[in-house]
This record gives sequence, structure tokens and C-alpha cells, in this order.
Amino acid sequence: MKKGNATLFNLPITTKLGITLVSFLLILIFFGEWIMPYDPFQIDMNNRLESMSHQHWLGTDQLGRDIFSRIVYGAKLTIGLGVITIILSVIVGVPIGLISGFSGGKIDAVFMRIIDAILTFPDFILAIAIAGLLGPSLTNIVIAIVLVRWIVYARLVRSQVLELKQQEYILASKISYSSKWRTIRMHILPHLIPTIIAIGAVDVGKVILLISSLSYIGLGAQPHIPEWGAMLNDGRGYFQVVPALMMYPGLAIMLTVLIFHLLGDGLKNRFDIRKRGLRK
Amino acid sequence: MKDQLISIEHLFVTLNGSHQPLLEDVNLTIKMGEMVGLIGESGSGKSLTSRAVTGLLPKEMRVSGRISYGGNNLLELSDKERYKQLGIKIGYIFQDYRGSFTPFIRIGKQMTETIRTHIKLTKKQSEQLAREVLNEVGLEDKTIYHRFPFQLSGGQIQRAAVAMTLALKPELIICDEMTTALDVITGEKVLNYLAKVQKETGCAVLIITHDLAQAYKHTNRIYVMQQGRIVEEGLSEEVRCHHKHPYTKKLCSCLLALPGEDLITTASQVMVK
Amino acid sequence: MRLVFSMIGKRITQLLIMFLLLSFITFVLMKLTPGDPVRTILNVEDVSTTTAQEELIKQQYGFDRPILIQYGEWLSNVVQLDLGESIIAKQPVLQLIINRLPASVALTIGGLVALLVIAVPFSVLAAIYENKWPDYLCRGVAIIGASIPSFWLGLLLIFFFSLQLNLLPVMGRGTLAHYILPSVTLGMAMAPVYIKLLREQLIDILQSSYIESAIARGIPRWRILLFHAIRGSLIPLVTMFGLSIGSLLGGITVIEMLFSWPGMGELIVNAVTQRDYPLIQGYIIVVGSLVVFINLLVDLITMLINPQIMQEARRAQ
Repeated sequence: MKKGNATLFNLPITTKLGITLVSFLLILIFFGEWIMPYDPFQIDMNNRLESMSHQHWLGTDQLGRDIFSRIVYGAKLTIGLGVITIILSVIVGVPIGLISGFSGGKIDAVFMRIIDAILTFPDFILAIAIAGLLGPSLTNIVIAIVLVRWIVYARLVRSQVLELKQQEYILASKISYSSKWRTIRMHILPHLIPTIIAIGAVDVGKVILLISSLSYIGLGAQPHIPEWGAMLNDGRGYFQVVPALMMYPGLAIMLTVLIFHLLGDGLKNRFDIRKRGLRK
Repeated sequence: MKDQLISIEHLFVTLNGSHQPLLEDVNLTIKMGEMVGLIGESGSGKSLTSRAVTGLLPKEMRVSGRISYGGNNLLELSDKERYKQLGIKIGYIFQDYRGSFTPFIRIGKQMTETIRTHIKLTKKQSEQLAREVLNEVGLEDKTIYHRFPFQLSGGQIQRAAVAMTLALKPELIICDEMTTALDVITGEKVLNYLAKVQKETGCAVLIITHDLAQAYKHTNRIYVMQQGRIVEEGLSEEVRCHHKHPYTKKLCSCLLALPGEDLITTASQVMVK
Repeated sequence: MRLVFSMIGKRITQLLIMFLLLSFITFVLMKLTPGDPVRTILNVEDVSTTTAQEELIKQQYGFDRPILIQYGEWLSNVVQLDLGESIIAKQPVLQLIINRLPASVALTIGGLVALLVIAVPFSVLAAIYENKWPDYLCRGVAIIGASIPSFWLGLLLIFFFSLQLNLLPVMGRGTLAHYILPSVTLGMAMAPVYIKLLREQLIDILQSSYIESAIARGIPRWRILLFHAIRGSLIPLVTMFGLSIGSLLGGITVIEMLFSWPGMGELIVNAVTQRDYPLIQGYIIVVGSLVVFINLLVDLITMLINPQIMQEARRAQ
């Protein structure tokens, strides 16, 4: 991979933009508590539905809570959940993909059958099902999404393993009696990690969309929690009066997802990743 | 000079940003009703020359020189005016028969579409014309007309392409390696039908090929091209027996090493009744 | 013909595996639930609970028997198309779902129409002006579109077209005007993926030799674009639709909630908030089967369009 030598300075502009914006998000996540002017849960019935002012930069909601503080607090929650979900999916998916790809034969066939079956089943519906059966909560949503998402990574890893198995240096390492684990560590993981990071970045964006959608219909975060989708659900009745209640959480979701898209696309270009293994 | 249909003078084609021209000082004339061959290896610039005539060159290429046709310099006409000539004045048949017709539209429909683009006919009339010309090139219109291109053999498709030009009666037909993707006997058959069309309509034909035997057999005059230049020209017999350029010599010696132009000829004569 | 049977066979195995997986997962989850369904039933009927009553309910719904027996019984009922009875509505689950099906199907069709109207012009523009500003614009729109949550998009549309401009109705399903906002929202939500795919397809096709032939035959550019290029690029779209039907069913749920559209999505979300377990289970089974069935249908349609055409179209590129 010749392109692998690119430094921070000769990255494409979209990636630079992506990295800058992600750092911005990271600051929000880690230092948000210092930026927040108010307690995001503090109800203040005297200052309900206020418009933008010096005291409340983005105004207040129907319970007098500071919208800006809630959005900053929500960043940590929303993005954190997205990242955790993808990390969990990778943790589940990668070993299964490795096992399936390496062992081949019957084990592989069984895995692939299960994967095909789950693949046809929409993650959104499964999330609804789990929320319905275990009760609506963010934890349950994360479980539901991981149950479906791991497949992406399992397939990715499997196809990569199958591809690499054909290649000579793997054969060579087999001949030289290297252990399987050594082969995986030396030859397969280095190829996989960039791909997983790039695809994972786009997936974080997708998961954020999914979680906020579920929260919006009341199956995810409960209304008092400042998750962005839940904030939109919470303020639904007041849009007509105070459009700001609708604008800012939505914009926050959009920008965040956009950032992850840009980052993922940039990384994909940089690592020269084709779509292999993601389609049937 | 009156009977000259098209004449290419000092044609240069250069890729944008490059200094090395792809075509260098190409001069070529075709008279009315003449069959002219343009031979050379792949990459010698044959196709580029023909595309410069039709205006199908990629946008990144710069063209200079003069292409006189019907009293105009083609290179000075607008894209729109040049586009109007395609099909009706200048017919073009491509090398890859799979690309001769759009794969998911029936042959008949594509033929009537083309005919009605150029000639004012009703649907019925154009269908009748399409069926007639299909029969002319030895294809049975009843079956071929409603077929999709992938249901035909390569030879059948190229014959349908010849039939297409027959329906429009262009003044010039350019065949860009039209038989290369076919086997020898099928290729001969298609060329024989092309010759038949040429005789009937009196149009001029430019046959672009790397196959010398084919060029000798079917053309009156030959241009030999190498690395973007015309290195030799003359009557077919002349070029064959009294070539001057070492490159032509090389091409001819390759030909002699092969067993049988005569064999091919007899075989194809058997095929076409 | 053999191909058709093997395909149907493959889909049916898929259906069976998925069915077993799903039913088992949902069943086990249900048994792990913190909320007691017995309580739910009693609450709904608004009676003061006594242990005797609870026992009665347990017996009535069979909650007192071992899990595996309950599962087996439920499974055999499902095979006979009996999905049980809704706890809340006291009606057969299958009937409830089927009643809601037409509205969802209608919205799907509306969404697909909107999708085509949005995606085709954008991708055509992008493909014709590849790597020029219209292309960049379309790609930008696509990537931003992929980042907008569909419900927020719907909210914005409601805000501008219903509340501010007073042009279109917001809630419910009645006249044709009711279809516009939900369909457009659904279409716009799906559009980015399709714009990307169509654009790539079109760029490939526009460079193909058969388009060059059509140009050499002198066929007008608009005809080439419409009948030769765009038509060719729509064929793979059918397959794409099959692959994305799952996410479509998910996406439609949010939009139905947003617009109070009386479809399956609204039914299920209400069932979840009311903890109507049989309905939730039934819904999952129905949707799962629907996804597999539609995929089978898409397979058959692509075969009907003729696999060779597709194969040929792909090869000619």
C-alpha cells in the first residue's frame, strides 16, 4: 500500500475537514461540561420557551431548560452511544468473521446461512421488537443494533480472509508453520484495521441516525434525557410556537452524521477501499 | 477533384497537455463509390482518424488540419451540424458487435428508431423498410426483427448493422474493424454483404482493419498507417506487390507466412450462395 | 426453470431459518421481560388486582406452563396462520396487521414514485456533467441528504408547507394531498443511496460502446439519454430495491408516526408503548416473511426482465 505513507499534511481536503470537525466534536464530548452554561436538567418554569438571548444562547424549552446546554450534553450521549455500538459490533463481528473465513467448510456454511437470514431482517424492526419486549431504553436499543450490525464486520472480515488466503505470503507463512494466530496478527489484521475504521466511521453516523429516529418515536431515550432525537420528540407540541425547539437538535444530528460521513469517505479514499465484501 | 467525397489534409490530433501528437500530418482522400482500406497495427491511429471524421473523438483531444466534405471543412462546423450528418451521411460500424446495438432494446425497434430519426416515414413504413433491408443482408426479418441483440450471433448483429446503413443510404460508410470480433468465415460473409450494399447504393466505404488479406480482397486503394502517420498509399495491387516502406514489407511478409487467403476466399464463396 | 425452483428453495430455507431465529429470540426475550404481561392485561381492564384474578389470567393466556411448551404451541399456531389475539384490542393479531397493510403499501408506492422523481434527474445531471459543478452539487446534496434524519426532514416539510404556507394537510390519510408530504419525505430519505448508485451506473453506461453506436447512428441526444442510457440504468435498481426493502420498512415506521399515517408502523409503535406482546410478536413474524417474500418477488421479476438482458447490459459496459 503505497498510499499508506501519506502524512497529515497531504490528506485530501474532505479528510482534513472531517478530522477538524471530529476534533471539534471530541472537544464537545470531553469538555462539554465546562462549556455548558446551565444544568441541562434544570427546570425553570419562569423562563419557558424563551427565544435566543445572552442568558440562553439558543433559548429554552417548554420546561425552561437551556437548549444549548442540553445539546452539548446530548453530544456526549448521542455520539458516545454510536461509537459504543460500533465498537461492540466490531468486537462481536471480527472474531466470527475470522473463524468463518479460516475454517471454511461446514462452519462457514452455517455462519453464512445465519448471516444471510439476519441480513434480510431490518435492524430498525429488530430494534422495535427488542424495545417492545424488553421495554424502551437506550441500552436495549444498543443491544438491538449490535445484534444486526456485527454482520457487516463479520462479512467484511470473512471476505478479506478468503481473499488473503489465496495470496502467496499466507501460503508461505503456512508452509513455514507459523501459527494461525501469528498469520492473523501479521498478515490479516494490518489489512483489516484501516478498512474497519473507515467503514466504522460511516456506520457511527448511520447508528446515530437510527438511535435518534427510535428515540423520536419514543422507543429509545426517554423524554427527559437530552438525547437529540428524544429532544425533538419532547418538544413536538411546541414547534409552531418556538421553531428553535425543532431546528437545533435536528441540525446537531445532521452535522454530526455529516461529519462521520465525510470522515469515513475520506478514510475510504485514503485507504483505497472498494466495496468488496459488503454486497452479496 | 470533383469526384472527391472526402479529403483529409494535414490532420493532427493531440491529447491535451501532451506535445507528442497522436496523429501527425495525416492526408487521406476517398472518392465517390470507392472502397478504401486503412491498415496498420492496433494503436497506429486508424480509429482516431475515422473518429476525427465523425467527430466522435474524446473531448480531451485537440484536432487541427482540414477535413473537406461536401464543400465544408468539417472541423469548422458546429457540433450540432456535424451531429446531423451522423447516420444519414456517414454510417459507422464498430468493432465490438456487442456494442453495435443497445442490449435491452429489440433490433427492429432500434432500426425503426434510427430510420425515423433521419427519414420522414410513418411507423409502418419504417418497419417495412427495416424488414426489407434485413432480408437484403440475408437475415430473416420475421425472426430477427423482434429479437434482442444478445439473442443473435455476432455475424448476425454485424449484418444487421450493415442493413441499417443500407436503409439510410449514407454517402460514406466507415467500418472500424467490424469483423475483428468475428471468426474469419463469418467476417467474410459480412464483408461480402457490405460489398453488395456498396454496389447497390454506390456509396464510398472506408474499411479499417489490421487484416491485410481482407484489405486486398475488398478495397481499391490502401493506406498504411504506422505510429500516427500514413507511411504508404496506393492501389491495392501496387501496395501488395511493389511496396516501398519497410513497415509495409514487414506486414506483407507476415501475410505470406500464413497459409491461405485463397482458402478463405473459396470458403466464403461457398457460404454466400 | 430449474433456476427458478432453486431460487425459491433458497428463499424458503432463508425464511425458515430467519423465522426460527426470530421467533425464538422474541419468545425468550418476552420471558425475560421485566414488565409482567399479566399486570398489563389487568391494568388495561382497570380492575383492582387480586391474586386469584392474576392466576386466572395466567391460566387463560397459558403463562403458567413451561416455556418450551408455550413456544411449541405458539409455533404450531403460527404455522396455521394463527398469530394469537391482541391483548389490548382483543382482536386477532393477523387481522389487525392486515387491516393496516394497505395504508403502508400505498405509502411505499408513493415513496417510490417520489424517489424516482427526485433521484433520476439528480443522478442524470451528475452523470452528464461528471466532475463538473452539477456533479459536485448532486454529490453534496446526496451526502447531506444521507445525514439528515428522515423525521426531521418531515418536520421541516410540515413546518414550511403546512404550518407556514398552509398548502398541504399534515395528518391522516384521505385525499391525494395527504399523500404528498409523507411520500416526499420517504422518497427524500431513500434518495441519497439511489442517487449514488444511479450516477455510477449512468457514468458506466454513457461510456459504453452501445451508446457510442447510438450516437454514430445519429439518434438525438435526448432519446439516447432517455431510452438507451436511463432505461439501462434502471434495471439494477430493481435488485437494489429488493436489498433495501428491510430498511424501507424501518424508515416507513418513523414517517407513519410523524404523519399519524394509519399503517403498520403506527400500529407497532403503539403496541410497543402499550406492551401488547402478541401483537409485537406477530408483527415481527409478518414483517420478516414480507421481507423474504418481496425479495423472492424481486428475484422473479429480474428473471422475468430476462437475466440475459441484465447480464448483457453488464457485460457491454
